Amino acid sequence: MMDVTIKCFSQVKYALGMNELNLTVDDGLTTTELEKLIREKAKGKLDGVSLRVSVNQKYVPHVIKLKDGDEVAFIPPVQGG
Amino acid sequence: MITTPKELQEWNDEVKNFTVIDVRPEVQRKEFPLNGLNTVVSNENEINLIEGSKVLVCQFGIVTEGMIIENDLEDTYSLLGGAQAWIEFQNEQFDLSRWSRQTVLPEVGMEGQKKLLNAAVAIIGMGGLGCPAAQSLISAGIGKLKIIDGDKVELSNLHRQPLYGPDDIGQLKVIVAKEKLERLNCNTIIEPIDNYLNEENGLSYIQDTEVVIDATDNIQTRQLIDLFSKESSVPMVYGGLFRFEGQVAVLNANGSAGYSELFPEPPSGGDTCADAGVLGMLPGIIGNIQALETLKLIVGIESNLIGKLLIYDGMSHSTQIIQL
Repeated sequence: MMDVTIKCFSQVKYALGMNELNLTVDDGLTTTELEKLIREKAKGKLDGVSLRVSVNQKYVPHVIKLKDGDEVAFIPPVQGG
Repeated sequence: MITTPKELQEWNDEVKNFTVIDVRPEVQRKEFPLNGLNTVVSNENEINLIEGSKVLVCQFGIVTEGMIIENDLEDTYSLLGGAQAWIEFQNEQFDLSRWSRQTVLPEVGMEGQKKLLNAAVAIIGMGGLGCPAAQSLISAGIGKLKIIDGDKVELSNLHRQPLYGPDDIGQLKVIVAKEKLERLNCNTIIEPIDNYLNEENGLSYIQDTEVVIDATDNIQTRQLIDLFSKESSVPMVYGGLFRFEGQVAVLNANGSAGYSELFPEPPSGGDTCADAGVLGMLPGIIGNIQALETLKLIVGIESNLIGKLLIYDGMSHSTQIIQL
């Protein structure tokens, strides 16, 4: 098992009701699998919302395996202006 | 020989040994004084009696040029454009002092200010982000601002769009904005375009500018700005809001990622301010960060948000920077 921290922004923050989330997950969990987990926790509030992923403050355009201690953020597009 | 007002100013600053001779009649000397110069008054017949280097000043620089040729005067210069040019030059110098609090910054300096005075910026959207961005850039001395929006002022805009007041409701935003912005700095050329950016007109709005500011409120227009920013090689300063949060990124600059790399199409989600709600201060902060990044791009300040996404949280005042 390994620990990852999820930083929550905009709709993700409101959907989960928190700024940050610490999770213990299976070794080798991928970013896509973690996103699925987060969407499940949001109970439908993130349905239809595109999310982009950053790991350790670096944007990750492709699926990668996470490591222990990684900080992950799921970034939705924001529209207001 | 001829000297320019700039050269004369430099000689004056260097305390170079020369005499400025005002050959104009008294009425002109009184009406148009040569501020900043120590002058002697002389007429054509007595100029030769004054020793050393001489600069002759008449009203327009024509009479003195003739005097030098006709009298074959040595080591004598005519001030190009005469007193009129000197006064204009001095006024210009005075204007630059308007920005002394920013030109004193070594990162900006007089060279940076001149770049700002000659730069053109397009702002797409004159709402919550566009108003503060335009105000700050106008105050910073930007040379030309194209403001693009087809919208009219509504009552619900007023709490976050400080260029507009109750009397402006129903008026085109760009027309009201131009009028208000000109009061801040009448030297900036403001081109109001009362239209929405679309596939046909977008390139023409962006291509003759140094930077395009994305101050829109919808993803579709944002994608179009990204497209035309890439096509015209004009960097795009993206800004977006969600409730207490804002995002800023400098896209398509020096080969950095664009919006389509950040959010490959078709992104969905992301409510508008009308759906999600917003306090007026947040677009004020984010619009000003966009203006700051625009200024950095124009002046050439290397510490910037090129290839980075800034996420600002107005609740905790925390920021996160994601490398793109």
